[in-house]
Amino acid sequence: MIEWFHPGFIFLFGAFLVPLLKGKKRLKQAYILLLPALAFVNLLLMSKGVLLSEGKTWVLSFLGYGLTLGRIDRLSMVFAYVFVIASFCMILYAIHIKENWQHVSALIYVGSTLGVVFAGDLFTLFFFWEIMAWASLFLIWYGKTKSAFGAGFRYIMVHSFGGVCLLAGVLIHLHNGGSLAFDSFTWGIGGEYLGVNLIFLAFIINAAVPPLHAWLADAYPEASVTGAVFLTAFTTKSAIYVLIRGFPGVDILIWLGAIMALYGVVFAVLENDIRRLLAYHIISQVGYMVAGVGMGVFGTAAGEMAINGAAAHAFCHILYKAVLFMGMGAVIEVTGRSKLTELGGIYKYMPITFWLYMIGAFSISGFPLFNGFVSKTMVVHASAMWDYPTIWLMLEGASIGTFLHTGLKLPWGVWFASDKPVCEAREPPKNMLAAMGITAFLCTLLGVYPQILYNILPYPVDYVPYAPGHVVAMCQILLFTFVAFWLLRAMLHGTPTVTLDTDWFYRIPGKKGIRFCEGPLMDFTSFIDRNVMRMAGFFKSAFFPLVPKFVENPLDNAFHVRLPELLNFEKIHDKIKKIKVRELSYNLIYILLAMLLLLLFILFMAVME
Amino acid sequence: MKMKIAITMRHLFLMLYVSLFIGVLAGILVKLFLHPHVHFWWEEIPAFGAIYGFVGCVIIIVVSKALGHHWLQKEEDYYEKH
Repeated sequence: MIEWFHPGFIFLFGAFLVPLLKGKKRLKQAYILLLPALAFVNLLLMSKGVLLSEGKTWVLSFLGYGLTLGRIDRLSMVFAYVFVIASFCMILYAIHIKENWQHVSALIYVGSTLGVVFAGDLFTLFFFWEIMAWASLFLIWYGKTKSAFGAGFRYIMVHSFGGVCLLAGVLIHLHNGGSLAFDSFTWGIGGEYLGVNLIFLAFIINAAVPPLHAWLADAYPEASVTGAVFLTAFTTKSAIYVLIRGFPGVDILIWLGAIMALYGVVFAVLENDIRRLLAYHIISQVGYMVAGVGMGVFGTAAGEMAINGAAAHAFCHILYKAVLFMGMGAVIEVTGRSKLTELGGIYKYMPITFWLYMIGAFSISGFPLFNGFVSKTMVVHASAMWDYPTIWLMLEGASIGTFLHTGLKLPWGVWFASDKPVCEAREPPKNMLAAMGITAFLCTLLGVYPQILYNILPYPVDYVPYAPGHVVAMCQILLFTFVAFWLLRAMLHGTPTVTLDTDWFYRIPGKKGIRFCEGPLMDFTSFIDRNVMRMAGFFKSAFFPLVPKFVENPLDNAFHVRLPELLNFEKIHDKIKKIKVRELSYNLIYILLAMLLLLLFILFMAVME
Repeated sequence: MKMKIAITMRHLFLMLYVSLFIGVLAGILVKLFLHPHVHFWWEEIPAFGAIYGFVGCVIIIVVSKALGHHWLQKEEDYYEKH
């Protein structure tokens, strides 16, 4: 049997070659597209049993611990498949981008997510978890606006907090005699479970469970047009993967998930920014998956249905959400506008984009024959099997809101709404259309032949999505949602406002804190300063009136000239201020070099053992 | 040109009414002839999907708008000003 090769490392190592292909545009584009293709072939060879198709591989010995970089089973394979397939479509969508480093960060982001998926132990998980956060940060900063910069900082602060929780959780878990292997944890709340609770907290931060979700709606809409498409897929869905791995059947997740599904819907009503509206629908859709994980008790038929549903919905969600973000990205690309209040009536300029977007919208709404229908209904069905009436009603209700926004309000406001187009527009570049076309085709394919998806799910699937009762009920819900939308459409026009969310709790006090330091605190210190100087002058003239000049002058010089020169705060402040967007790539290089060094260090330690 | 658009809209609405009717009729027929296995009592109502879709949509819009209007929605430069 041929040795296994980690698909994530195809992206991670491949990324470093991209900057070397400077100036060779076509070659570079072909090369970047080749990486996901290679990774996909790798996965196919695994599924055919040519490469090791099950078990553990790439086990490194590190400081007496065995680190497993490759844990291969049905669950990790489902997620690996969808990440690799989606990355191909997304790279195609972004292939015209000239900035090499944007490609590099996207590739590292994909590679590290695959690292998380195949991680068999908690240290490896943490390692890739952190790379994922940092690589994705640059996709936000490449939005290159002031608000993107601020949102990026808030994003990385939340994720650093999550990363620290994960590391602390892992260490405490080990200290309490837990195993380093990344399998399902024994769940409980309280002192002895502190490590497990911290790990859980880190996972649900990445899954964007309210009230810890605000980073998502804050940062994703600020990212670059192509970067945002990558962001929609990897962080939240890898969080679902680790939740399935670590916390299946933890019942608090059922309620968190159902609340999440409705929370995103409510906020989407109020949103004016087209990508932020979609970002709230990521939160809503991930709610279905979180609820699925919560219902996924081992060894029960309903639990297996729920886990299958969560994995299948993650698979489908990545595809249709990519189409939706690609469509709205295309609108921003050609019009330069991102607010509902500034758009309208441009259908005649970009009909192809509109129809491809609508395939994504039908999919997320769960129309029969599109992929959302075959996966979302599995989670809803699991809630019926467990006999949770309230959860069932909440999840079905969230589908109503989903169709209302992504399928009706958003396309209506962007492409129609006004009789005359409010601005010039055209179809986006061909590669963007092609990427949307392929992804939309996959959405429809899975909707028509769900068996392709069902065959690769973690457990055997005993579920018929196209039962007449299901289909008719879903059609009724969607049709009458349309009726209500049409009657109330005047209420749904965007308004030029922002919506407060839980990020308020760190944005406003943070700003107030800085203002307190700059204002009252500085006044107070300068008051103290003045009085100390006055006292010093008084003492000097009172007690040492006759200090010789050759002592006094150098002292004066040292304190009043040299020291301030050395601590020239204004100069330092200026220097920090000058770090601007154009230096992004340098910062990225530093971080990449640091990561490479860390990787080499780990490999070195592993070899030494 | 204008005439043509008017006709298309009328056609679309006709299609909508027909599909609404078919949707509800199909619900009744499925209940009468196929007796699908259901989990909750409300799924026995033939037009439950229609009622839930309509009422749910109205509730979502009204409740969210009220929340936004009285509490959550602020002017666009809120975070710059505060």
